[in-house]
Formats: sequence, structure tokens, C-alpha cells
Amino acid sequence: MTYALIGYGQSVVLGLLQGFSELFPISSLGHSVILPRLFGWNIHQNDPFFVTFLVATHLATAFVLLGFFWGDWVRIVRGMGRSLAAREIGDDADARLGWLLVVGTVPAGLLGLLLEHALRSLFASPRSAAAFLVLNGLMLYGAERLRHRAPARVEGTGAAADERIAASVSWRGALGIGAAQAIALIPGFSRSGATMGGGLLAGLSNDDAARFAFLLATPIIGAAACLKLPELLGSSGDGVRGPALIGALCSAVTAYLAVRFLMRFFETQRLTPFAAYCVTAGIVASGYLIVA
Amino acid sequence: MPASKRNPILIAILGAVLIAVALLYFLQTANDLPSFIPGHEAGSSHHHVKHGVAALALGLGAFALAWFQSGPRRSTAE
Repeated sequence: MTYALIGYGQSVVLGLLQGFSELFPISSLGHSVILPRLFGWNIHQNDPFFVTFLVATHLATAFVLLGFFWGDWVRIVRGMGRSLAAREIGDDADARLGWLLVVGTVPAGLLGLLLEHALRSLFASPRSAAAFLVLNGLMLYGAERLRHRAPARVEGTGAAADERIAASVSWRGALGIGAAQAIALIPGFSRSGATMGGGLLAGLSNDDAARFAFLLATPIIGAAACLKLPELLGSSGDGVRGPALIGALCSAVTAYLAVRFLMRFFETQRLTPFAAYCVTAGIVASGYLIVA
Repeated sequence: MPASKRNPILIAILGAVLIAVALLYFLQTANDLPSFIPGHEAGSSHHHVKHGVAALALGLGAFALAWFQSGPRRSTAE
């Protein structure tokens, strides 16, 4: 007999939460550590069944991102193919953006593979996640403050935006932004926040930084989910697959709404509101967890 | 051999070594890995798949870099 380790109601809440908090710069992992404790649920981030559940929601988020930017990915992959055939990148913006994404993904992937278990074990408590959420807010605010000057917004999305990103981000910058994603292995820090902040420091506008962050997120979230897919399909997925499927569907819905919203939001707005939210939520959660 | 042509060959060799290491990780248990390779663990039947993926990614990256560096002219990207 198998037991539902995550109830369907819980899977709906956690799926909805995971979908939008993965893409909002507010740390999905931090929220998935803190909220179950605030709700009094007996769910911990290192529980095998919860890791399995997260694999499903991450996979859903990766598919949503891939679908949302499908046209861009086709262009980027074609550009990379052209550059491989010509054995040079030259002025091909699609090729350059594609290789920038590769350069950004490799360090993040390596650091993730090497450090994930150690960091998650070390900072598994809701209290540390709440404290790091405050630091995440300061990181977002710092990125807005430290960038030299917000570039004047240039109209044009899709290929035009990709050209701007390819022209603005250096190879070293892509490497740094990619490596910065590893900070999200610590619950409370946001991967998309780190990449958006890195994009701002590289000279991108907020909407281009968000676009670059989402493109960078697709392979890393997808690869991380695929690596752990055996856990979902294997024995550790027993009793969790139903809730995981529901959670993944909920996650897909909110991930789609989140990416649509954020691409519009960052046309005119900055990271500052998310910084304020993270600092406030981190302080309130810390206070509650200490008292409780 | 011009100096600019040496790097691609060295990088390609590094890529080949990394892919060979990746295959070792995929095919051998931690017990059967050579003792100088990270992850060797006597008596363990565990396969270090993540180590293998990391080595494979680095190996493919090295091949891509060697491919571009040995092209007709260097990229003007940076």
C-alpha cells in the first residue's frame, strides 16, 4: 500500500507557488522551504518525495519556457549551426547569443552538480532560508544601484532584443552571470534574480536582462529536471506521481502567466519591488519562525 | 607549427581526455574507478553519473572551443 506523501491540495498550492516563484526573482526554493513550515505541513526540502515532486514542477517550468521562447530558440540553434559550419561566430547575433548561453550554462551546471547536495543540506532550515531571502532582496537592490546607468529602452522584441543582448554581454560576463546562478542552490537566493542582476551589471536594460535570464534558465532547469527524472519514474516516485502531475500542471499555468507578466513588467519597471518584497517577507518569516 | 595552431590541438586533446573520463564515470562503478580519479570509493557499487555529465559537458565545450580556434580566422566576438 502506498501513501500520498503530498496531498492533492498541497500539490496544487506548491505547484502554483513553484511555477511563478521559479521565474520571479524571489527564490522558489526559499519559498518551498519556508511556506510548508508556515502552513504547518510536514514537508521538508530534502525529503526524497518532495525532491521528486520538485522534479516534475521544474520539468513543467522548463517546457513552458521552451514553448514561450520557441521561435527564439529555433533562431538561436540555427545561428549556432551556422557558426559551427563557418567555424567562426563573427557578427552573427543569433550564434553569439547561443554560445553566450552555452558559456553561461556550463559553469552553472558544473557548480550545481558539485555543490547542490552540500549546500542544500547545509542550509536546509526555514530560518536560514528566511535570512537568505533578505540577502536576496539586498542583492536585487544592489544590482539596481550598482549598474552604471539604466540604458534608454529601445523598442523591439524577439530578434532585435537578442541582438542587443548579444552585443552587450561579453564572454566573461556570460561566464560570471552563469556562475552567479549557482547562488540559487542556497534556499532563499533566486536564480533568476542573480541572472537578472548580472544582466543589469553587464549593461542590459531590465527587459533584456529578464529575457536573457529566462533563456539561460531553460537549459539549466530542464537539464536539472531530466537528471533527476529517474527519481520520479523510479521507486522514489511511488505515491507521489499523482500529486506531482497535478503540481506540474499548476506549475505550468503559473510559469506561463509569470513569464508573460514579467516580460511586460520589466519593459517599464525594475527589480526594486521584488527587492522590497524579499526583504520584507524574509524579515516577517524570520520573526515568525523565531517566535514560533 | 604556428603558435596560434597549438592551442586548438591541446584543447582538443583535453576534450578527448575529458570525454574518456566521462565514459569511465558512466561505465565503471566508484570501486572500479582508478584511484587518482575523484569519486573513487573502495567497495562502492555507485555510478557517479553527475561526475560523468560534468566531464562530458566540459569535454564537448573544449571540442567546440578547439573547433572555433582552428577555424579560418579567429572570432572577433571578444
